[in-house]
Amino acid sequence: MAVRYAPAILLGRVARTLARWRKPGGGSAVPGLVVNTIAPGFLPRTLNGFPGGLVIVTGSAGKSTTTKMLVAALRAHGLSVFTNQSTANISQGLTSALLERVSLTGRIEGDIAVLEMDEGHGALISGSLNPRVVVLTNVMVDQIDRFHDSDMVAAMLAKIAARATGSVVLNADDLHLSRLGDGIAPGVAVARYGVADEVLAANPRGLGYTLTSPTRLDAADGMVLTAVSGLDATVLVDGRVHTLRLPARGTHYAVDALTALAAARSALLDRFDAAVAVAAISSIPPVFGRGEIVSVRGTTVEFVLVQNPASLQLNVDSLDPDTEQILVAVGSDVRDPSYLWPADTSALGHVLIASGSKAYDIGLQLAYDGVLVDRIEPDLGRALDDFLASPEPAHGVKTIIFSADSMRRTRAHLGLETNEADPS
Amino acid sequence: MTVDHPADLTIVSLLPRLLDTNGDAANARVLAQRARWAGLSARIVPVHAVADLPATVDLVVIGSGTDTDLVAARDALSTLAEPLRAWLTGGVPVLAVGTGWELLSAGLNLADGSSVDGLGLVPGRAGALPARVTDDLVVDADGLRLLGFENHLRGYAGAAAPLGTVDYGTGNGDGTEGAVDGSFIGTHLHGPVLARNPQLADRMLGTAAAARGLTLTPTAQTESVDGIAKAARNQVAVRLSLTSE
Repeated sequence: MAVRYAPAILLGRVARTLARWRKPGGGSAVPGLVVNTIAPGFLPRTLNGFPGGLVIVTGSAGKSTTTKMLVAALRAHGLSVFTNQSTANISQGLTSALLERVSLTGRIEGDIAVLEMDEGHGALISGSLNPRVVVLTNVMVDQIDRFHDSDMVAAMLAKIAARATGSVVLNADDLHLSRLGDGIAPGVAVARYGVADEVLAANPRGLGYTLTSPTRLDAADGMVLTAVSGLDATVLVDGRVHTLRLPARGTHYAVDALTALAAARSALLDRFDAAVAVAAISSIPPVFGRGEIVSVRGTTVEFVLVQNPASLQLNVDSLDPDTEQILVAVGSDVRDPSYLWPADTSALGHVLIASGSKAYDIGLQLAYDGVLVDRIEPDLGRALDDFLASPEPAHGVKTIIFSADSMRRTRAHLGLETNEADPS
Repeated sequence: MTVDHPADLTIVSLLPRLLDTNGDAANARVLAQRARWAGLSARIVPVHAVADLPATVDLVVIGSGTDTDLVAARDALSTLAEPLRAWLTGGVPVLAVGTGWELLSAGLNLADGSSVDGLGLVPGRAGALPARVTDDLVVDADGLRLLGFENHLRGYAGAAAPLGTVDYGTGNGDGTEGAVDGSFIGTHLHGPVLARNPQLADRMLGTAAAARGLTLTPTAQTESVDGIAKAARNQVAVRLSLTSE
């Protein structure tokens, strides 16, 4: 068994070297493709082989931040954790990531694996996986290509959750997930988490879920987020109040932290120490937008990826109000310009440049929302050059809000690392 | 916008929770902003049930929903059938997009052979197309170009009159697009249609304002935003090898 994958692993490593040679920093899916083609059993067998089992984090939004927080919490408990980069969501990317660490005998150092998976891909490959813990964040409708409605997303998450052997950790405020929890097989624990009435009331537009549960979780039935104020949040765990420091402003980050806490308890069982987990989660580096702050051309830029109207709304609402230099770019992935209109962008106030192949359409929405738009520049390269060359802001950092297509083009234009195979 | 100072124009957005899949409830936002830019005050009232209805209604928009919610949306709309009938006979401008339009018709014939009864408030009926249509849609409405995005499973037959003829895309499926019946406009155009095609918005606003003895005065703000809309339309037109406006 040990030697069985050695040829495939070797070939994959050759492919990786070749891919890096051809394009530094890129092509990371190619070696995975090589290995998955000649040894399709490699991925599931390796992932199922960790002594402490496999934890899968999935759902519409919050996966990356939750995964980072959970990994920090587990490491603070002394575990050695294998995890994937948020860009390596697909089989090939995952296999490539495993290749970085695997020995020729097919083993990876590590007590436990924590993997972030998008719901569509997770549903496809989960049939061969035996996760000990499945963590579900939320169901938001991602209609960019209209392949999914919320029922389909919920069904994909149910399929992944059905693979759990130990426990399913889920957001009780998301009605789709709450219902899903009622159907989990006996013998598998369901660990619920949720926000208190006050937290929901402080978010008059809701938390972005397609369906919100009519009632809040009782503290006796799971972990509860009791308050959020700026970067501070309090959670109630087994009757004790803990204070968390968030990596960025916004209730969704507090919910991510709560999710990570609940997941850490399900993963660690008796070893779980809430104070240790809270300290670890509180110390993860600041997250900007959807998690990226970049130094490029001598300036600092915050990247904010918008994948659907709910994430646009959450990001607009949680943007530092002092942010004075904003570029918004929407590309060809948003085919129907109506798509983003459910979000109210008025809080942006002032946008320096609207860009991307849908520059005029996003400019139109911003104008109707009362946002002052200085310039509409469909040529994204020119927009980026001018935006980055303009004088530094007196407050906040230069902020680029973009759709996935515009993100890829931005990264390519600025020579930043990309993963071509990443579907998101 | 208090009871003491009612807005000049009241815009009702019908069932925005069920019928806003494509962001078409935003047509209400477009009407309100254009009214404000033209010097009138305007308010948007979301209506989910009879109890939400304001005392006066000047304009009505209905968006599009998912087929999963068809029956729920129809049943919710049914409770509002009487006010809808009164608006239509009273000449209140009503814009309905996609399934919101279909549900006001006699009914919908679905691809699986089943059907859903509509409210029967406007002539015609929606029928399944061979496949989902997802593309740009360009319409000639008596010389006025209307441009948007279409994404629907059904066409439409038996409209009192079409909104226009199709220059690019599918529309109703017979070379025409949309329906016009008095002050009613039904369309498959997303965009939202009134943002991308402000002349259609101003046609509705003009009717509503005239009924109140008010006039709309275009401003620099309106012209600037309409320039963006025109650029958005022309960008699509050029891509489709159509003439620019």
